[in-house]
Amino acid sequence: MSRYFAPGNAAEAAELLRTTPGARVVAGGTDLVVAARGGKHPLPEVLVALHRVPELARVRETEAGIILGALTTHTWVERSGLVRSRWSALADAAAMIGSPATRSTGTIGGNLMNASPAMDLGSPLLVLDATVELRRTGGTRALTVAELLAGPGRTTAAPDELLSSVRIPAPVPGTGSAYIRLEHRRAMEIAIVGAAAALRFDSRGEIVAARLALTAAAPVCLRVPAAEAGLLGRRLDAEALAAAGRAAVAAVRPISDVRASADYRRAMTAVVVARALTLAARRAAAGSSVPGPDHPPTATGSVQ
Amino acid sequence: MTGTTSVLGQRFVRRDGPEKVTGEARYTADLAFTGLLHAKFVYAGRAHARIVAIDTTEAARMPGVHAVLTQADAPLVRYGMFVKDRTLFAHEVVRFEAEIVAAVAADTPERAAAAAAAVRVEYEDLPAVLDVDAALSPAAPVLHPDWLDYRTQDGVLRAPNDCGHMTSVKGDVDAGFAEAELQLTETYCSDMAHAVPIEPHAVVAQWQGEKVTIWTTSQVPFPARAGVAETLQIPQSNVRIVVPHLGGGFGGKCDFHFEAHVALLARATRRPVRLVFSRREEFLATDKVRHAARIELTTGVKRDGTITARRARLLLDSGAYCGDALFATEIGLMMVAGPYRVPNLYAEVHTVYTNRTPAGSVRAPGGPQTCWAVEQHTDELARLVGLDPLEFRRRNLVRAGDTGQTGQRFVSSSAQRCLDRAAELAGWPGTDLAEGEALGVAVGWWFSLSVPSGAYLKLNPDGTGTIITGAQENGSGSVMGLALLAAEELGMRPEAFSILYQDTDAGPFDIGSAGSQTTFNNGRAVMEAAREVREKLLALAAERLEIHQRDLELVDGSVRVKGAPTRSIPLAEIAAGAQLIGSGSGTPPPLPEHDLTGCGGRLGYSAFAAPSFFCHIARVRVDRETGVVSVPEVVAVHEFGRVLNPLGAQGQVEGGVIQSVGMALLEGSQYDGGHQLNPGLLGYKLVTAPDAPTVTVDFLDDAVDQGGPHGAKAVGEPPVVGTPAAIGNAIAAATGTRVRALPMNAERVWTALHRPSAGAVTAGGEA
Repeated sequence: MSRYFAPGNAAEAAELLRTTPGARVVAGGTDLVVAARGGKHPLPEVLVALHRVPELARVRETEAGIILGALTTHTWVERSGLVRSRWSALADAAAMIGSPATRSTGTIGGNLMNASPAMDLGSPLLVLDATVELRRTGGTRALTVAELLAGPGRTTAAPDELLSSVRIPAPVPGTGSAYIRLEHRRAMEIAIVGAAAALRFDSRGEIVAARLALTAAAPVCLRVPAAEAGLLGRRLDAEALAAAGRAAVAAVRPISDVRASADYRRAMTAVVVARALTLAARRAAAGSSVPGPDHPPTATGSVQ
Repeated sequence: MTGTTSVLGQRFVRRDGPEKVTGEARYTADLAFTGLLHAKFVYAGRAHARIVAIDTTEAARMPGVHAVLTQADAPLVRYGMFVKDRTLFAHEVVRFEAEIVAAVAADTPERAAAAAAAVRVEYEDLPAVLDVDAALSPAAPVLHPDWLDYRTQDGVLRAPNDCGHMTSVKGDVDAGFAEAELQLTETYCSDMAHAVPIEPHAVVAQWQGEKVTIWTTSQVPFPARAGVAETLQIPQSNVRIVVPHLGGGFGGKCDFHFEAHVALLARATRRPVRLVFSRREEFLATDKVRHAARIELTTGVKRDGTITARRARLLLDSGAYCGDALFATEIGLMMVAGPYRVPNLYAEVHTVYTNRTPAGSVRAPGGPQTCWAVEQHTDELARLVGLDPLEFRRRNLVRAGDTGQTGQRFVSSSAQRCLDRAAELAGWPGTDLAEGEALGVAVGWWFSLSVPSGAYLKLNPDGTGTIITGAQENGSGSVMGLALLAAEELGMRPEAFSILYQDTDAGPFDIGSAGSQTTFNNGRAVMEAAREVREKLLALAAERLEIHQRDLELVDGSVRVKGAPTRSIPLAEIAAGAQLIGSGSGTPPPLPEHDLTGCGGRLGYSAFAAPSFFCHIARVRVDRETGVVSVPEVVAVHEFGRVLNPLGAQGQVEGGVIQSVGMALLEGSQYDGGHQLNPGLLGYKLVTAPDAPTVTVDFLDDAVDQGGPHGAKAVGEPPVVGTPAAIGNAIAAATGTRVRALPMNAERVWTALHRPSAGAVTAGGEA
């Protein structure tokens, strides 16, 4: 028989995780409950629900950047003018997740801790150099997103650790970022492959900072250092896009599943990489980036 | 005779709309019962196996479990609409992954599920047959070794692993090909697709004495009643089927489904028992999916584009059982010539057993796949002779006086007019096309099903009316629209009628919401019933007004003297003092004359009664780098004889077009061996609102009344038939390459563009 707790603060939640073997955290439930109802995973024996923990929903803006509480919803991220202008790739991704109902219920912490290789927030957080805070009874620790993600459905968080917040540093002025995903339909969709990019150019139009990460192309969302290094000191011309695409394709380990074959995913990796880099560059040039919340850029979006 | 204002062709809002929109409508799974038990099925979970042993003892001992039943607890009756090849529970052999092996009733759904999981079944796996070509090979395992002993409907021709084959022959096909200057052979494959109504299947059964009442999500209550009676070996009069509001069907709730299983559980426990399917069960266990198909076409043409001959071979994957699949086979056969003059034809179609989920009726069974293949082929023929697709079609479309593939003489044909009107609305060949965009066209035809039907009608003391009918509403609004026909006869407002349906103990027999037949047939019955009431009304009024009946008219809810509007009696006044009751059935219009010389097998659609025509033109946008296709607009021109309810017809066309965009681009079951890989709404993708095209709808009239009410023809199914074909032709026009597998999903489009040698011909289901 399942047990269900709804603690009133984060300390209590962490203590429940420590003292109750098999306990799992539930926030919006958009992954956990859907997976259970679809027969993918049964509901955990013990649920620790976080909806009564207001401190985990807090958003703090500081000199150094922004700290999003784990319970920050995708809708909040999608609608935040600040996120859209400074961390555009994250806003792009938040605006694509599921449906309006999913986005109003699902959280940034849940998306990360569910650790799907197809999670939309993973690659944007990677290119934005985000870190997460894990809290347990008696202490906290900070990890990069890359350090957190361990494999499909797996993180490096211990069973008694609670993801409490996501910290995203302020971008260097002139940085543009974007997230592009390939999808079969424009709502209620899951990435076939996706790419996030963050770019900064010098006054001559050459790239001085580059970040590139991929979604649904490997067991985890992952950065592509080879592609990033290859972009430095170049203009973003067709040759540079092609080279980045090749480096990305060399880095992926896609699977064949009902959404696509590995072969198609590999080929599409180069396409979404080129489109993400192109949009990031356009935003870098524009000085900021304000994608309308209702029209997230998508792989199909570029021709629609 | 009905006064001055006709209600036909006017804007009419269906009576059941508000309660459905506000959520007040009650569906089968919403009903509350005292002492209710919950049913859960035990499925085979494998494609093909012999049952060695079933052990239910542990399951039966579990807490809250009231019954665990297997075929040993049911009469050993083989049932089936065309071929009696199936038992309620698996008998000795399982033939697909969701074959029902046992059923549990327990006091909670969770306990029922736990007990179902505790039923132990020992199997000996048998070789599975998973595609139609393999099934027809002489070396293939025979999935129904006793097939020769099965009873069938008259005329069904069968073979091992073929539960119904038929041929359609016209002219001399060899001579036709000899006359041809060019010829083209192509093969098209489509994947299994699903009806996917929002409401899953649900059944509640409750016994009192020898009689059982079954509330069920059926499109066809009377056939469901017959199925329960046949399989439980009880009189039909002991079975009452009630259908609460139905949350969509699209054919997936046709035929006889799970009512008897639940009735057996209820009888064993003497408690009401409810079954509600999960979405996963909707994909795996409902034996009504759209057939996967393999369609081979060879056509001979002259250089001027005249078609001289066609050979066609259709293989439809029927899955483990025949069900009502022969509808799809027979209709598919009637679609292979399209609405074209094909003077010499040899077409054969096979309904093939495999170890997959059984196929059957899904909105326009056999239609969209065949129309898609034929219309891709038509564009390729146009290309072969160097003609514009519209011009090629104009040279070959049937006209009034022509004969169709079974010699049916068309008393009218709107095919050309539909084509011309659609081309005009779409701006063919496309004037403002963006990069990557192109138009594609498809024309087609469909039938009206002429069958018996019946209705009662009464006027109530308050001057309102009630229609009592055996017809079933599946959401299309056709039953709701019956009020229009009654109102027209009686000079009343359609809003003044309530409709009692959904109950086999109340209404006369009807085949149900199938074959787009409700308005065509039950409309006739309602009109006849209303005319009987009108005669009674006029007789009574004539007496009271002391005037001859022919000088009276029925207007605005009253009987009045023609030319003297002040001399009138409200209907309520007459109805309060007299029994105003009518009944009707009418005579179904006969099939057009036709000639089946040389044809073989059961031809249930040997001619198309009151045929209607359509033309769809789709504008698509192809992202060449990814293969992603979007459909910004579909122009859909239909000739439905006469449109009685424009709002309803428009809704049917818009919904049908959007539904079939999914069939064209997204929807298809993928298989790994005998297992569906995407039995859910995440992996099996329907079109959602952001991807729905703008649908531009126009209706044309047919000048010739072919027997439907006021000249109306069937509406419900034709809208889904043409859109996949039009989209396919538009993709080919936009890309210069043809995708010969349905759905034409992004990866298949991309493969056709970038890996042309990589087997774009093969449907993924065969991989």
